Parts: sequence; C-alpha cells; structure tokens
Amino acid sequence: MRTKLFAILIVAAALLLTSCGQATTPTAAPTAAPTAAPTQAPAAEPTATTAPATTGVVLPAVDPAQVTGDIISAGSSTVFPLSERMAERFRDEGYSGNITIDSVGTGGGFERFCVNGETDISNASRAIKDDELAACRAINREPVAFHIGTDGIAVVVSKENTFLTDVTMEQLAAIFSSSATNWSDVNPDWPDEPILRFSPGTDSGTFDFFVEKVLNKDKNLILNAANLQLSEDDNVLVQGVEGSPYAIGYFGYAYYQENANRLNVLSINGIAPTAETVEGGTYPLARPLYLYTTAQIMREKPQVAAFINFYLTYVNEEISSVGYFPLSNDALDASRQAWLDAMGQ
Amino acid sequence: MQERATAAMTTLAGAATVKPTGRQIDLRKRRRPGESAIQGFLFLCAALSIGTTLSIVYVLGRESLLFFSDPAVNLCKFLTTTRWQPTIGEFGILPLANATLMTSAIAMAVALPLGLGVAIYLSEYASVRARSILKPALEVLAGIPTIVYGYFALTFMTPLLRAILGRDVVEVYNTASAGLVMGILILPLVTSMSEDALSAVPRSLREAAYGVGATKLETALQVVLPAALSGITAAGVVAVSRAVGETMIVAIAAGAGPAFTFNPFRAAETMTGHIVRISGGDLSYNSIDYNSLFAIGLLLFLITFALNIISRQVVRRFREVYE
Repeated sequence: MRTKLFAILIVAAALLLTSCGQATTPTAAPTAAPTAAPTQAPAAEPTATTAPATTGVVLPAVDPAQVTGDIISAGSSTVFPLSERMAERFRDEGYSGNITIDSVGTGGGFERFCVNGETDISNASRAIKDDELAACRAINREPVAFHIGTDGIAVVVSKENTFLTDVTMEQLAAIFSSSATNWSDVNPDWPDEPILRFSPGTDSGTFDFFVEKVLNKDKNLILNAANLQLSEDDNVLVQGVEGSPYAIGYFGYAYYQENANRLNVLSINGIAPTAETVEGGTYPLARPLYLYTTAQIMREKPQVAAFINFYLTYVNEEISSVGYFPLSNDALDASRQAWLDAMGQ
Repeated sequence: MQERATAAMTTLAGAATVKPTGRQIDLRKRRRPGESAIQGFLFLCAALSIGTTLSIVYVLGRESLLFFSDPAVNLCKFLTTTRWQPTIGEFGILPLANATLMTSAIAMAVALPLGLGVAIYLSEYASVRARSILKPALEVLAGIPTIVYGYFALTFMTPLLRAILGRDVVEVYNTASAGLVMGILILPLVTSMSEDALSAVPRSLREAAYGVGATKLETALQVVLPAALSGITAAGVVAVSRAVGETMIVAIAAGAGPAFTFNPFRAAETMTGHIVRISGGDLSYNSIDYNSLFAIGLLLFLITFALNIISRQVVRRFREVYE
C-alpha cells in the first residue's frame, strides 16, 4: 500500500519535472528573439531618415556621426521636452558629444545666454525682450532666432468640475484676478466656492505669456489673488488641479496631453486648442517656440550649427508626439533660410 | 612618517646619552612634534566648524542687508504685513512664518506626547526583548530620507485626511498633512533624547519611591519624569528647531503659494518651502527676489538660534543634580 503510494508520488513528480522541462524550453526562444531585433533596428533607422521631407528650402545634409564637440543649451521648460527629443535622435544617429539641456525657464535661459554668455543655444517660449537683447549686445552676441514650433497653453480643470467647459477671455482674466474670490463672483451661475488657482512660477515663460495675453501684462492681478499656488514643477499643478472640482490651472499643452485622462481642457471663446486652431492663430493662447543662438557661435562651433540644422530638418517629424503643434512649411522654411543666412551660405 | 622616524631617533639618542653617563633621568619637558601636530590638527577641525558657522552668518547678514536696504522694503512692513509676493514688491513675512509655525505646532502635537510615551515605556516598562525590537525600529524611522516622508504626506496622509474629513474641507496641499508626517519624522529624536534623560535618573530614586509604596506608574510620572524634566524640555526645544527648519516635507505637501491662513487644511507655504521653490526656478542674482531668500534664511537662523539658547538656559535652570 505504502510503496504503491510512493510509486504514484514518484510518477507524479516525474511528470511535474518533465512538464517543467517542457515549459522551460519554449521560454528560451523569446529571450533570444528580442536581443536579435534591436541590433538590426538602429542600422535600418538612419537610411529611413536621411531624406528630409521638405520641398522648399533644403539645408545641407548633416551626418551626426561626423559631428564632434559639446553643445550647451538652457531655457524654457516648455521647449525642453522637444529639445530633449531632438537631442536623443541626434545621438541615436551617431553624435557622440554631450548635449546639455537645462530647463530653467525662458528668462533664466536668456540670463545665461546674454548676461553670463555661457550657453550656445537659448531655448525660449517667447520672443527675446528688449532688455535681454540689449544685454546680449553688451557682450557682443547678436541673437538669431529660429522658430521651431507652436505651443498652446491649456487651461484645465478637474474631471470632477461640472460647471466649466468654456470660458471667454474676460472670464479667464476675472478668474485669475484678485477681484474674484469665489466662482460666483465671476459668473452668478457658478458655485459659491473659492477659486483654487494653480499657475506656473513667475520665472516661467508660460507665466509671462499668460499675464501678457490674458491679464493685459498686469501681473499684480494674479499675484494678489487668493488661493494661488505657483510652481515651476508642472506635476504640482496637475496634482493640485486634479484634486478639487473648484481648482483651475494652466500650463503648456504637452502637459495636458500627458495628463488628459486626469484633467479637462477648456475651450476659450468657444475654440478648443487643436492643431488647426493653434496654427491658424484662432486659439487665443498659442505661442511660438524658439531657439536662439548667434551666427558667430554657429561658425565657431560647427556642432551647434549642425544640431540646429538637424533640428530644423526633422522637428516636424517629432513635434506632435511631444505635444506641440508643427509649423507650416512656409514658417519652417523661413527658419531654415535664417540658418543659411547666418552661415553665410 | 618621516617625522615619526626622527622622533624615534631622538628618543633613542636620548636613551643612549642617559645610559653611559648614569646621570639621573631627565624629567624636563621634552618636545614631541607628533603630539603638537595632532593638537594643531584638532584645533583646526574645531576652528573650521566655527569658521563655517561664522561665514554662514556673514553671508546671510550681508545679503539680507542688501535686501533690507532696498527702498521697496521696510523692516516694519516685513514683520507685520500679511502678503508675500516678491515679484510685485510685497514683502510681508507673516504668511510664511505663520505656515512654518502651524506645521511645527502640528508636528510637535504629534511628536511630543507620542515621543514621551514611547520614552517612558522604553525606560521604565519595556522588557529587554521589547527594547531590542523597538529601539532599532525607531532608528529606522529616523533614517528615512525626508523626501520619502514628503511623498508619504502627499500620497498617503493627504488622501487619508480627505477621506475622513471630506474633499471640500481638505485641500490637496495642506499644512495639516505636512505637519502630521513631520511629527512622525521628529518622533525618534524626541524619543531618544527623552529616553536618555529618563535613563539618567539614578536608580536610587526609583527604589526610594517603591520603598514608600508607590506604584510603577506613580514612580514613572511623579518621580522619574520631574527628575528628568530638564532633559525632556531640551528634547522638545531641539525638536521644535528641527521642525522649523524641516524643508522637503513642507515643500512637497504643504503648498506652493504664500497664504495667511490659520486653517490647517488649506494650502500655505512655509519659509523653507518658499526658499526651495523660488531657488528651484531660476533667479537673477541681482534681483530683490534673490536677496529676499537670504532675509528668510536669516530669520530662520535667528529662530533656531534663539531656540537653542532657550534650550541651554532650560537645561541649566531645571537641572537636578543627584550625587
């Protein structure tokens, strides 16, 4: 009796072992497959991208593998993800130097570019200001701008917010001003609850742009408002707005796109931010994105010229996935022409 | 190495000169270069730490002076008005100071009773086995990085508060959650300092209490605790200065905008949190925003400095010396 049981157990164990053995053999195959696949992919990629998809101004071809030397850039946190993406692609295609991209806000970027003169490229989410231009000239830097794309500022509320889907510019100004404390102060139909405001920090280009467009350049209005949270960290804003039905905030459209399942975006004057409305300029909170450098830097540091060339050639292939809106061919051609002019070609 | 070698040689030479003459052993002070080198090094260490403190005070003072000498700033307004928005020239420290005070008070409300309870348990009641588990556990609590506590506040404590008290009452960023978690952070500090104080009370006192028929609780609360009061008060003061200076938790969980409110469930920014947020963005070195950070830093320094002085006074004043 006992020996029989023992035999059954042994058979069962043997079956288990063989089944395990069988199970392990198929797993060997998948582990081999992925290792083989990536080695082929990078080799195939450059051939696919060598032909620029442009019809107008064509820049001289760049081979990133031939480019040496480091590139230092700093500036807008809005341009940052796009530049990061372009730098990644530049590296993928063979560039072996270092590209530094610091996300310090547009103003901070110009401070480093124009006052300290320590960066090669300044990323900006607005055009350079007169005083910044003067500072640049004071250190013999004559900035050249390259328009690379367009960003829409998304005005967002929580998914729990039931009363707001569209605002007029006037209402938006009132919501972000010290004159209103509760929602009902702006529109009697809205709840009698305090407005919880979330805004990018005062150093960011997004803040500057919002104040200029919505508040008529008067930042006292927003900075005197109650229940205002300011942060350079957009995640702080996303989290804050998401947390209450009475919260409202704004930031670059890319951040909204990343968090579209957590937030609702408002239309402004009945116009929602889409590629058409932003590029066509009907969406009121659209703004240009720029790279700034100087012709002298481009000539002295060929890697900077090469990177900007590469940027202008392929930016429209990457920009949508980063969350911004591509430029029309004409606008991009103007930037490419600026590159040619700067290089004296 | 060479120095030591020559020192050895001189002693050898000394010994050599002593022996053959057979004179009395020379007891005069002998120069020991190794000794004085070490003394010098130790003095340098002490001087370095003092020098660092002094230069910090100097830099804080100099930059704050720049801030206070700005025509837009006035010391009286700085200390009494309730709006802080440097970009538009509003410099009233009260909202920041108030938030710091609130988070610290909440933290102390958690840490002091809890810490004292744990300390009494550990020193008076706990068995050796319980101690050997509890003490290391508390030390682990002290070793957690404060940024982890910050996210613990934001992703655990805040949702918990919102679930209990209602989402309309508690905002996403609030001082209560930051304060509660900060209480957990300083709990080990209060515990270990108080426990040291309690353990330092001589055994004879406890035995005398038992001798006159006191229960264990009576002994702990009416004999040991008063005897250790100076040490416990010192623990409390050190904990307060730790809470005032705590940065990461409040930067993450308390809020990102200065607000003058006494409601712990509203967002408000503390002094340290403000410094982190503003310097985390980008600031021009010659702007008043930049200088204002040093003024806040100076105020923080003065607060903790004052607390340290108070704690020293308290320790001296209430100290009970046995034998």
